[in-house]
Amino acid sequence: MRIIVAVKYVPDTAEEIGFDADHRLVRDADSGLLSELDEYAVEQALRLRDQLPDSTVTAVAIGPDDATAALRKALQMGADDATLIVDDQVAGSDVFATAGLLAAAVQSFSDAGALVCGMASTDAGTSAVPVLVAARLGWAGLTHASTISVAGQEITIGRTDETGTRTATAGLPVVLSVTDQTDEPRYPSFKDVLAAKRKKIAELDVDDLDVDPATVGAAAARVQVGAIARNPDRVAGRTLTDTDGSTAGELVAFLAETVH
Amino acid sequence: MMVVLVVAVVYSVIGVWLFARGAVRLIVQVRKGSPSPGRLLPVGRRIGATITEILSHRRFTTRPVAKVAHWCVMVSFVLLVPTLAAAYAQIVDAHAELPIVGGWAPWQWAVELFSWAGLAGIIALIIIRLRFSEHDPEPAAAQDWRSRFYGSTRWQAWFVEAVIAAVILCVLAMTACRNALLRQDPATAAAGSWVHFPTTYWLGSMVMSQPGHVLELSVGWFAFAKIMISMTWMGVVGAGITMSVAWHRFLSILNVYARRELDGTPALGAAAPMLVDGKPFDIRQIDDLAADATFGVNTITDFGWKGLLDFASCSECGRCQDVCPAWNTGKPLSPKLFTLALRDHAAATLGPAASKTPATAVSPHSDDLLTALARAGAAGSDDSANRGGQLIGPVINPEVLWACTTCGACTVQCPVDIEHVDHILDLRRGQVMTSAQFPEEFGGMFSNLEQRANPWGQPARKRLDWTRGLDFTVPVVGRDVADLSQVDYLFYVGCAGAFDERAGKTTRAVAELLHTAGVTFAILGKAESCCGDPARRAGNEATYQELAVANIEQLHQLGADKILVTCPHCLNTLSNEYAQLGAHFNLVHHTQLLNRLVREHRLELAPPDPGEAAPITYHDPCYLGRHNGEYEAPRELLGAAVVPGGADLLEMAHSGPTSMCCGGGGGRMWTEEKIGTRINTTRMGEATATGATTLATGCPYCSIMLGDAASSDEAAPEVRDVALMVLDSVHRAQNKHLAAASAATPSTDTD
Repeated sequence: MRIIVAVKYVPDTAEEIGFDADHRLVRDADSGLLSELDEYAVEQALRLRDQLPDSTVTAVAIGPDDATAALRKALQMGADDATLIVDDQVAGSDVFATAGLLAAAVQSFSDAGALVCGMASTDAGTSAVPVLVAARLGWAGLTHASTISVAGQEITIGRTDETGTRTATAGLPVVLSVTDQTDEPRYPSFKDVLAAKRKKIAELDVDDLDVDPATVGAAAARVQVGAIARNPDRVAGRTLTDTDGSTAGELVAFLAETVH
Repeated sequence: MMVVLVVAVVYSVIGVWLFARGAVRLIVQVRKGSPSPGRLLPVGRRIGATITEILSHRRFTTRPVAKVAHWCVMVSFVLLVPTLAAAYAQIVDAHAELPIVGGWAPWQWAVELFSWAGLAGIIALIIIRLRFSEHDPEPAAAQDWRSRFYGSTRWQAWFVEAVIAAVILCVLAMTACRNALLRQDPATAAAGSWVHFPTTYWLGSMVMSQPGHVLELSVGWFAFAKIMISMTWMGVVGAGITMSVAWHRFLSILNVYARRELDGTPALGAAAPMLVDGKPFDIRQIDDLAADATFGVNTITDFGWKGLLDFASCSECGRCQDVCPAWNTGKPLSPKLFTLALRDHAAATLGPAASKTPATAVSPHSDDLLTALARAGAAGSDDSANRGGQLIGPVINPEVLWACTTCGACTVQCPVDIEHVDHILDLRRGQVMTSAQFPEEFGGMFSNLEQRANPWGQPARKRLDWTRGLDFTVPVVGRDVADLSQVDYLFYVGCAGAFDERAGKTTRAVAELLHTAGVTFAILGKAESCCGDPARRAGNEATYQELAVANIEQLHQLGADKILVTCPHCLNTLSNEYAQLGAHFNLVHHTQLLNRLVREHRLELAPPDPGEAAPITYHDPCYLGRHNGEYEAPRELLGAAVVPGGADLLEMAHSGPTSMCCGGGGGRMWTEEKIGTRINTTRMGEATATGATTLATGCPYCSIMLGDAASSDEAAPEVRDVALMVLDSVHRAQNKHLAAASAATPSTDTD
């Protein structure tokens, strides 16, 4: 059985983020990396491989050539092989198109039995892709898992939020998304890094996946971004100091001004 | 007495045979190590360095009494070996002498002198061991097991010391009897004069009244006793190749011969390169690596033969244990116990015992060592430690490995040139690069280094934040100056200097001082990367080299030569370690440069007013002091900046080469200190005890670690970099000039 882990190559959020004229994120920055949340997905995929007999892990990414860096990292961590979906027509795709491409990629592997995703990407952050892919594939969707356990062909997740923990169980095939509450992603040894250098990364385009080009790319996006504005810089607060109430008037005036 | 002689000869044959067998076993065992390239050549220089080091005892850096005592015992051992040969003849003929030199007065003087000196020396060493030795194997108070001899095998040390004392007493007793014999016969009385027996003549007088045949018999029996004692020693030592308290007499000579640094300095500064198949690992040539290559040290034979020789040579003196910051704060690491555990494991798995000993056999460690390992929490998971295979876990507890701050205090102390820090690093390399096993916090640090080129994971643009608010522009290479030929120095700010608030103050102060002194400099700004030290000290040689290679390429492109740093870790890495990758830069630490500027009167200092002067103490950063030999410049600078105002420069209990680490080296800055007390608070306790109100230092790690310790202790002195104190002094001088100028022109307002 093949476990597919979807990974995304994202700009480093610690660096300056750039947008092009169409309000699209500039993705060819020097400092791109494997989305940190997707590292948790890779870790869980590798752990599933240990528990499901005769399984392998395939990392899949959609993105420009640079995105091989994200796949390379997944290979270093221990994925068996990797596939990059790279096609100029894909640029500007929204979540629906992305989900369609991913679903097609999963279907292109006849032995696919599970798809593992991070809980969200660190750039767009919609958390929508895993459920959309599950819907397209007609697979069960177990999302936002903070724990995962395997019993035979059944997967049980725990989903923890501020109200408590819910457990949900589904039989394979299944789409999983995992949170950063799952196990810490492993750091590859240098032996693993060397081994990953020897693994090849396959490339597929829209034609290979039998996806209608009209359904992907900026033109097919159901949402158009109208404008992007930066949050105003935080300014230092004002401190009023007194011991006799003499600044009360100033405080009231400030509050009145702020409320209006 | 012929029978006695036969007994002595037969016993000697057994003793020598056992000893020779032990020596062969040790040689075979050490040869099972991996290559230690360059450790045998050049022969001439190495022999010269060995003789110098051994005769001068220069690596005995502390404890002058023990040093002199040991020197006397060492020389007497060498000198008295020929007298052992004479002893065989003396069993049957009390008048027998060594051929040629036997009756020669200078030889007799030397033998007498060093018999007494050796006796005094061994008595001194026995007293020292008694004073510091641990009688209770499981002492209740933590302080009690901090003796430097704790964990050393006591019976072996007592045995060796008793043998020396007994042999020397035999020599003296024999000499007295032979003196009396000579003087009783008028024909030989001249040979028995005080000229030939300058210091034993009086002993001879004491036994003069004994009849001649009794004296002759006495000489024979004392000679016999001397032989039997010596040969017992040979046999016992030969049978126990882990009895390194005895073997160090021979092995330390080889170990000193094969030392890492030919100039006589300890194996510090640059870390030894990581060898793969005997060749230094180079990240630029990883395509050449074999698919099954392993990295660092994983099993005992991954150590170079010099490492195995190190372990076999340990004299168990415990000087390293005495100064180790980890051991002294209750961590399981003692450099001595670490060395002894590996010594015993090597003997058990590589020696002839290996094939015979079933895996469940008893531990190769002595009871004393076993108790100490258990008591310290340093024991490996395999009780017997005699199976081959992985070292970390079964033989060396991981907590031992990761507790090291790489401060080098042990290596500076070691009289037999054991390279503790390199061995720790090689084991860490095995853990990180082959097994990916390391403290959890390192994972984040490694990722930060790989993705953002600094251990804190800060964005590169923040590297310029410290320049804001300065009243002059700090030139950035590529933006304000085209290349480095236009400035005096490249100021390599360092990650701490750029991102840490406390260290950033030092960076600003240095920039201001350079600006004031008219020294031109430029920084790399956003293009600067970590030098790689945190990765290398944590065992991640690949990430270190990725950073180093990129840095070297950039520095060469920009024509960098003279580089100024405020961080001793950057200093060590750029100057000593990049050289291993073929890049040579001239590094200067800010305390060195500022000291030069003050000497050249390019910075004018004014001491504090007498009323404001407060005592200060100076904390030696490990990577400035021990690793790079700079103890003087910061002290001289403080002397010029603060002391003339009446402030005392006080020294802590540990300073200079024995200075105690702040706890931040060896990657420990990024890990939690969960065991024992904290190193930084312990060090701060030493600073507080001096009565100083300011602790000056010259390293951002030290500033951060000790600053943390000071923030939770009101009595602790304030932590400040030397540069900040110099800047204050420069400001005082400037203000005095301003005040003088305004006093000289008082009438300008009224015009």
